[in-house]
Amino acid sequence: MEGKLIAVGRALAFVLLALGLCGVIFEFAGYSALEMFESIADGAFLNPNAWQGSLRWALPLFITACGVIISFRSGYFNVGAQGQFYMGAIAATFVVDFMNGLPAAIVVPFSFVGGIAGGAVWALWPGYLRVRSGADEVITTLMGNFISGLILIYVTGGILKDPSGTGQVMASRPVAIAYRISSETGLSPAIVGTAVLVGVLMWVLINRTAFGVLSSLAGRNPTMVVWQGARMSRLGLAGFVLGGALAGLAGAIEVLGPNGRLVSGFLPTHGFTAILIALVAGLSISGAAIVSLFFGGLAAASLYLPVLVGLPAAAIDIINAAIALFITARAAPGLGWLIGRRSRAAGGA
Amino acid sequence: MIETLIAEASPAAALQCRDISVQYGEVSALVGVSVAFAPNLIHAVVGQNGAGKTTFARVAAGIVMPIAGTLAIGGREVSTGNVSQARAAGVELVHQSFALPPSFTVAEAMEFGAERGRPIFARRGLEARWTRHLENLGVRARLRDRIRDLPVEAQQGVEIARALVADAKVLILDEPTAVLSPVGIETLFDRLRSLKAGGVTIILILHKIREMLGVADTVTVLRGGRLVEGPISASTTDARRLSTSIIGLQTEKGLTAEDEAALVGASVGDLAAASQTTIAMEGATPILTLENVVTRGDAEGPALEDVSLTIAPGEIVGVAGVEGNGQRPLVRALSELANLQSGRILLRGEDVTRTPLRERRARGLRVIPFERNSEGLSLSSALWENWSARQLLLGPALKLIAPARYRKECDESLKRWDVRYTTTMQPAGSLSGGNAQKLILAREIDSDASLIIAAQPTRGLDVGATAFVWRSLREARARGCGVLFISSDLDELFEISDRLVVMLSGRIAAEFRPPYRLSDVGAAMTGAH
Amino acid sequence: MEEFVVATLRYGTPLVYVTMAGVLAQRAGVWHLGLEGLMIIGCCASVLGLVQSGSLLVGLGIAVALCVAASALLWFVVEKLGANPIIAGLGLTGLGLGGSDLAVQAIYGSQATINAPIGLPRLGHQFGNFGVLSVLVVLMPFVVFGLWVLLRRTRFGLQLAASGEHPFAARSVGVNPSRMRLIALCLGGVLCALGGAELALGSLTIFAYGMTAGRGFMGFSAVIFGGGHPVASAAAALFFSIVGAMGIRAQLLFGDRVPNDLLLALPYIATVIGVWISGRLRGGAKAASSFGELRDY
Repeated sequence: MEGKLIAVGRALAFVLLALGLCGVIFEFAGYSALEMFESIADGAFLNPNAWQGSLRWALPLFITACGVIISFRSGYFNVGAQGQFYMGAIAATFVVDFMNGLPAAIVVPFSFVGGIAGGAVWALWPGYLRVRSGADEVITTLMGNFISGLILIYVTGGILKDPSGTGQVMASRPVAIAYRISSETGLSPAIVGTAVLVGVLMWVLINRTAFGVLSSLAGRNPTMVVWQGARMSRLGLAGFVLGGALAGLAGAIEVLGPNGRLVSGFLPTHGFTAILIALVAGLSISGAAIVSLFFGGLAAASLYLPVLVGLPAAAIDIINAAIALFITARAAPGLGWLIGRRSRAAGGA
Repeated sequence: MIETLIAEASPAAALQCRDISVQYGEVSALVGVSVAFAPNLIHAVVGQNGAGKTTFARVAAGIVMPIAGTLAIGGREVSTGNVSQARAAGVELVHQSFALPPSFTVAEAMEFGAERGRPIFARRGLEARWTRHLENLGVRARLRDRIRDLPVEAQQGVEIARALVADAKVLILDEPTAVLSPVGIETLFDRLRSLKAGGVTIILILHKIREMLGVADTVTVLRGGRLVEGPISASTTDARRLSTSIIGLQTEKGLTAEDEAALVGASVGDLAAASQTTIAMEGATPILTLENVVTRGDAEGPALEDVSLTIAPGEIVGVAGVEGNGQRPLVRALSELANLQSGRILLRGEDVTRTPLRERRARGLRVIPFERNSEGLSLSSALWENWSARQLLLGPALKLIAPARYRKECDESLKRWDVRYTTTMQPAGSLSGGNAQKLILAREIDSDASLIIAAQPTRGLDVGATAFVWRSLREARARGCGVLFISSDLDELFEISDRLVVMLSGRIAAEFRPPYRLSDVGAAMTGAH
Repeated sequence: MEEFVVATLRYGTPLVYVTMAGVLAQRAGVWHLGLEGLMIIGCCASVLGLVQSGSLLVGLGIAVALCVAASALLWFVVEKLGANPIIAGLGLTGLGLGGSDLAVQAIYGSQATINAPIGLPRLGHQFGNFGVLSVLVVLMPFVVFGLWVLLRRTRFGLQLAASGEHPFAARSVGVNPSRMRLIALCLGGVLCALGGAELALGSLTIFAYGMTAGRGFMGFSAVIFGGGHPVASAAAALFFSIVGAMGIRAQLLFGDRVPNDLLLALPYIATVIGVWISGRLRGGAKAASSFGELRDY
């Protein structure tokens, strides 16, 4: 328990440090840092509709973050959540389009499956390249993000294009009302239920199965588990695919839920934010549930800022980036002891 | 009466330390060490692993900053923790595991530490510059070779050559004999004697008494971070006294006189101690059979060429040989981490050549890997996770588990193995070397184990932990297990092996039964057989 | 044919500069994923500096100063605070992208595309088709050669390599690996600033949000593909540029029959293939990258 408190404290300290850096950047750019932070707090948590907005963003983020947690715990830097999110959304839209006319009880589950499959496939190829050929997964998944963005443009400008669209933004036809799983508010039993189910299943997977312990060991020292007889190809690939699957599911939820259709370039920071949630939460599912609300609030604020207060939404991106910069830092008391012991153990004085 | 060779405050001391203390976090590595070394002699500093010898060497070279104490070189005080000053004063350190970047060529390795010379160079000029230096020292390595492609003795030669680039007045060598064959050790000692004749003061860190007696003029003993004795003249002391100084008064249970002698490398002369108690049953199915095993050479080691070996139940087979002659490929082939090009591996008579490691482990194979910290444990993971890994791999991946149960079982197991820890949730990296090794033993040596591969299991461990490992493996042998014991320490191998094989260039060059002759085994290790 | 070479050089020069910054970092032992952010800071600062002050040198100066400061920040976070370099690098990239966006909005009130009045000085009409190339393009091969000499033919270069490959060896000769990394990163910062300036002012003279479009990451992959060797990595970067230039050209030729977006994706796909090949060459699955620890408990 004590270990967890230290971890929470440290995360908090670095978030504050990040906010401090952001304050400096805001001032440097000519904005009042105080005004910025006040407006962000207002948009995220303080105004009457804040909680609704925060929750709407938090739920899909939480689902993707669960996938990132599993991937990272398995030891692979799958930073392709954005691309896997997009591919899941695209796949789900195709399913809805293809099955148009069938009852919702069939279309909705199938589009969820489509989303999961789309995301999983988009994580499978970089995972396979990494596990078989040692191709650096950071690059392949990052490139996958860029490529999926282009695929999204192509698809919404072509096959899935909404013929009645204005031409300013490319988008697909709106999903039929019957298939929608929520309104624009993004809050509905279906979505909340899915998020809770995902959370519970992933928690059990991580904390109550052999896979959870083994992949955690593999994530910290793959050499050791190989010497025990595990196959990194299986453990690692499973982590990749699961990560992609959940991101794809989140994509499907966004399309059938609050977004209502597939829009070119929508939610461009979803993946990065989910990675951030996973890191701030210290790769714990229960932590991610709480941290998702925080970042969901920030996402809600990013809409609020330009519309109501005339401040740029880029401020939120900067906050997210600054948190990413500091959050993996380890300089903290209590660790010096560990390092001291280790040098003794390693040496042979 | 002990004759102290050096007066404490002699201004002519080549190297003098006063009250040096070093702290790593909560651990005291050195406590109040004061010592002076006279010039133009070979001084041995001995002690068991963990006594503080390497830390002492690094303080003298300026790499480690002590929390207290002063350092004087050639009579003049220098700042501690400052490598440049130490080198300018003429102190050079040859490290135990070489400080040579593996991808550098020999010429580059010589250059990057040089203090004089032009900042820019052409490759040919560089090679010309260092050729003479290496030739003078008798180092057989081409300047264009990469460090990682050189055999171990050549790497050490380059390491020593690097230390002698500037005019070294004090040369400190940290455990240089650990990686050498007996012949190599003699060559090294010859080189040191000629350096001494040339005016260099040499401080030699060793942990075998026999080696010390062979070359040193004075002896200093460290134990538990403190100076116990010395510098005293080597001719006025004997193995028994030194052994007591090194080990201290605590006597380990079940430690015979022969064990003790082996632990400090005190047995002098050619023949090793008498017979072992072999429990090997005649005619029983061998636990392990290797038939004409051939593997491909790779970055991890040379190819195995036609290796055949059997281990009977209740037998400890030792594997001797200079590092890099096939020991690693052998262990990897047995652990299914390397594929066989031809040949067979049989466990208890059953062919497991194509069986994955998980299956082999289920059938009783256990491995104590070479590298405790990178291959044996996940340092940042909890003790219970490290301990449970083997069991968890026996069942399906999605099997639901209760971590509390594993934590409890781990608790009981670690207590049985006398591991010092606070909670099973603490990270494995917080354990000392000896305790970490005990954790690995606790995991690997269970009642279902039948073949235990112990790869350098006592490396870096102090006397107590080493004795513990020996005891555990002997107990496993008494239960009918077969043990393959790989080590670079001949004293250890002579003491523990029922049979001894020597590996050279990927082959089994020779096999010996007790009593073992150091000269024969040494000759087999270098191929002069 | 000449036009194609010109197009490749224009596309490729910013990438080569950034790749060289990545090579420096890699030799020192830092996996630099902040290259993208540094590059966009270079783009934005040089354009905004130029527009606000009217002087090209002032713009370049501000770009260099900001990039060096950002590099030092990354060094501080990774070395002194012990952060994971991959995540910290991504964070720096985010800061660069967001920061440039913020700066534009602060000055112009919206996410506009900014036109610069002048660009970098060019070779001029005497050189025919090659006249459109800027001075930074001409400088590029000298930078690559200079870096090669620095890294492989000087003692400083050897000490830098030791700092990355075997920090203990570096310390044993009195070199401070941490300080070496700071020098490498700051030097790389200068190169990223130049690369960004070339991208924004070399041919187009504009700044647009997100104009780097992944070039920083491509540069990083070129470093991996080239094994950290300056000349090989520069060649890899040029290879990616050729693919990119071909994609743009193909758009003009085949615009109707082949989807534009697929052609735009070519450099990213080439990068993936490059990383795959270098993975295979360096030992396949056995060659594990170093993760560092992500968890607190």
